[in-house]
Amino acid sequence: MHLQHVWLNDFRSYPSLDVELPAGLTALLGRNGQGKSNVLEAVAYLATLESFRGAPADALVRRGASSAVVRGQVLVDGREQLIEAEINPAGRNRVQVNRQRLQRTRDLVEALRVTVFAPDDLELLKGGPAVRRSYLDKALVLERPAVDSVRSDFEKALRQRNALLKQCKGRLDEAAGLTLDVWDLKLAQAGEELTRLRRDLADRLSPVTTRAYRDVAGETSEVRLVYVSEWHERGLAAALVDSRAADVRRGTTLVGPHRDDLLVLLNDMPSRTHASQGEQRSLALGLRLGVHRLVTSRMGVPPVLLLDDVFSELDPERSVALLAALPQGQTLLSSATELPPGAVADLTLDVTTGRLDPR
Amino acid sequence: MATYAAPVQDLIDALGRLPGVGPKSAQRIAFYLLKVDDEEATKLARAITEAKARIGFCTVCFNLSEGEVCTICSDPERDQSVLCVVEEPRDVVAVERTREFKGRYHVLQGAIDHLQGVGPDQLRIKELLARVGAEQITEVIICTNPNLEGEATSLYLSRVLAVPGLSVTRIASGLPVGGDLEYADELTLGRALEGRRVVENG
Ligand SMILES: [Zn+2]
Repeated sequence: MHLQHVWLNDFRSYPSLDVELPAGLTALLGRNGQGKSNVLEAVAYLATLESFRGAPADALVRRGASSAVVRGQVLVDGREQLIEAEINPAGRNRVQVNRQRLQRTRDLVEALRVTVFAPDDLELLKGGPAVRRSYLDKALVLERPAVDSVRSDFEKALRQRNALLKQCKGRLDEAAGLTLDVWDLKLAQAGEELTRLRRDLADRLSPVTTRAYRDVAGETSEVRLVYVSEWHERGLAAALVDSRAADVRRGTTLVGPHRDDLLVLLNDMPSRTHASQGEQRSLALGLRLGVHRLVTSRMGVPPVLLLDDVFSELDPERSVALLAALPQGQTLLSSATELPPGAVADLTLDVTTGRLDPR
Repeated sequence: MATYAAPVQDLIDALGRLPGVGPKSAQRIAFYLLKVDDEEATKLARAITEAKARIGFCTVCFNLSEGEVCTICSDPERDQSVLCVVEEPRDVVAVERTREFKGRYHVLQGAIDHLQGVGPDQLRIKELLARVGAEQITEVIICTNPNLEGEATSLYLSRVLAVPGLSVTRIASGLPVGGDLEYADELTLGRALEGRRVVENG
């Protein structure tokens, strides 16, 4: 998978941009605030239709412009794919692949896959369970786009059940009880399936994350990912029955996969409380690179790796180790500092206020 | 900021309330209508008034109907013992196109969707239960859409229709998951009708 060419119009700080990218390592270097990350953000947008920085659509459009366009040409399995995304904060966003309108976001995975590592990823260790659930769910879709329907069925059933519970206003009459039975069944079906997928992924991620962690941290620690769901022993159907009275009282579903968590253990100790800041940074990177490796082995080709401001997160030894162990395939990295000694990029671009100059 | 004359704004607002029409489309349609011949615009206005005046809902099955009782319900050739339960009138058209179904219909006028404030009480389910009690019905085929709301509605119906002597089936596999009945082609829908199965009660 080689992103050969990127064009931007009115995206963030760029009135227009036209850049060709090599198959190997591209380094975008420049001081902060010059627009390095914007390029990575645009590339990730082409693959996911969202900002990895969590920015809303209107923040992606250059001030004074009404819409932004991101285009990318990707070489996949010897075929060129042209992805075009128009971001319209006031209207409808439009996405085309090879001039054909895109039906479902997950179909984009066929044209372009990315792995993003950004400074915010420390939240994978320090943040709440929602961050880690979303990490797992996105990895699942990257690996097998079709499973997105499991997650979306679960979320729809959950929203329906919660809406019903809210409308009950604390009292469940017979008719509402019958309807609740129906949603319990639907929620349990989708929820059990989603949990099975997440648990299986966590098991498979443990060894690859360990290897990625060791590459970066240069030590022989063991990383283990443990999926935790309090209800799992009983089964979701039974757990929903147990929780029904409380759910009705509180007007929301208190048990299920939407409350689960992923424990990240470093040498069998919870990393959230027991790992140092440096270890947590390596772990965050390890979690991303772990998914990258899984997806690579499943799809046969590595996703495009996007490393945003990565050296600010790592000490010099770890930076050198990361670049030495960089997975095969295309990588785009941004940095406010020069590459660590010994590292050579296939293309180095100096970024100054919306301009990219090749060295 | 310049504003439109009141009649133009009223037209845009009215169009904007139509399903699937956003503010931009509403504007575009309004300008189009203001540009076309008087005759064209009057024809559209008359079509709406006529349809509203002449078409109502069948008092038996709640399909669209010109009279009090629709042509299907009043057709003595149709099998009186079988009911096909669908969400919307357009689904009746989809099933009729297959020519596989000889019974009569019951139109729920929606599916369970609490996010839209639609529970069983907002659907024509009470009327369905009354029909099943009063008419000589031995089989109900549930033809709700193969999406989550349609599946939930089907499951709910299978529970409230669990009475001795009544067979309740669901149109089976072959339909695209998450889709609308309306978009299933005739062959697929016909096969699905053939291969219907008893709804699992979970
Ligand atoms: Zn009728």
